[in-house]
Amino acid sequence: MTTQDEAVARPVPGQAVVDEILRLGIEYVITVPDSVQRTVLELLAQLEKPRLLTVCTEDEAMGVNAGLYAGGVNAMLCIQNNGVLASLNAIKAITLDAQAPTLMLVGQFGRDVRLPASESRNRAVRLLAPTLEAWDVPHYPLEGPEDIGNIAAAFERAHRDSGPAAVIIGAPTS
Amino acid sequence: MRRQEAIEVLANGRGSAISVATMQSIVPWHNAGQGEFDHLDAQRCMGSASSLGLGLALAVPDRNVFVLDGDGSLLMQLGSLVSIAHARPRNLYHFIFANGVHETTGNQPLPGAGVFDFCVLATGAGYQGAFSVSTRDEFEEQLPRILDTPGPVLVNLVIDREDDRSAGSAGVPMASQIKALRKSFGPTDDNSP
Repeated sequence: MTTQDEAVARPVPGQAVVDEILRLGIEYVITVPDSVQRTVLELLAQLEKPRLLTVCTEDEAMGVNAGLYAGGVNAMLCIQNNGVLASLNAIKAITLDAQAPTLMLVGQFGRDVRLPASESRNRAVRLLAPTLEAWDVPHYPLEGPEDIGNIAAAFERAHRDSGPAAVIIGAPTS
Repeated sequence: MRRQEAIEVLANGRGSAISVATMQSIVPWHNAGQGEFDHLDAQRCMGSASSLGLGLALAVPDRNVFVLDGDGSLLMQLGSLVSIAHARPRNLYHFIFANGVHETTGNQPLPGAGVFDFCVLATGAGYQGAFSVSTRDEFEEQLPRILDTPGPVLVNLVIDREDDRSAGSAGVPMASQIKALRKSFGPTDDNSP
């Protein structure tokens, strides 16, 4: 069993994440479900607004987010690290080339929370941040409750710079 | 039916619909004067036209959204049929230019060409309607009925294979189209770029 003292990444309450999403006025949360964000998704599913919309692939999520933005509606994504890898062409074309503001909360599925992500034996965990950096996607950590303000920071960055911004969630939300 | 004939029928029937085009339909849609307003070209993201259209349809529910998709493009994100049906946008009309080949890359045959059926796939996914037309006259005759059917609706446009493929771009950056749409439909106090 991992104790709080041993953990590098600690759980952020799902309600705290949802409160940030509500505060930002986001109307749609588009997801390909992520077990790291299970409690966030459960709370969002109970709300009428923002509407939680599940799609089949992360490529689609990027497109739906951009279409909503173009139509005047602010949205965001809840996906996992493997989903970022699966959707790199959409990230390139839609969020970078087409400059669609895209806030994505990305769960580090498969991470040992006792280790820094950079030391993980899980390739997706270890290489998520370097992959985002290779594609000029800014990213912010959510390694514990003290980082909750990084969701708003990433949202503002995505809209200010007209592009993607990721928040990397290090431990399963509580 | 030639692609150009289908484009002309769609342009005549567009009304106030927002449009999304991709691949080989982009240039003829622009040449028909349809790229200048309330329009988005899905460029460098083959397969994404349907999901971009879904987002627009949800954001602007009082306007129809026409998605001009390709058969090879839709195959790349076939799951979007299910995602669209799940979201149930009553204003989404999904037109598939179906020639059975990857025209842009040199008319290589699609996997399963002549075997899979988009109308069956769409209704199986939960679309509210699906039509298939193969001549200009048939398309002109059917379009009012198609647009009277609440969406999401898929229309399989059986078109000829052609060798005079276009560049696949009208030279208008997707970023500027997104900004123009946001300016039209976004909040009046929007500070987004």
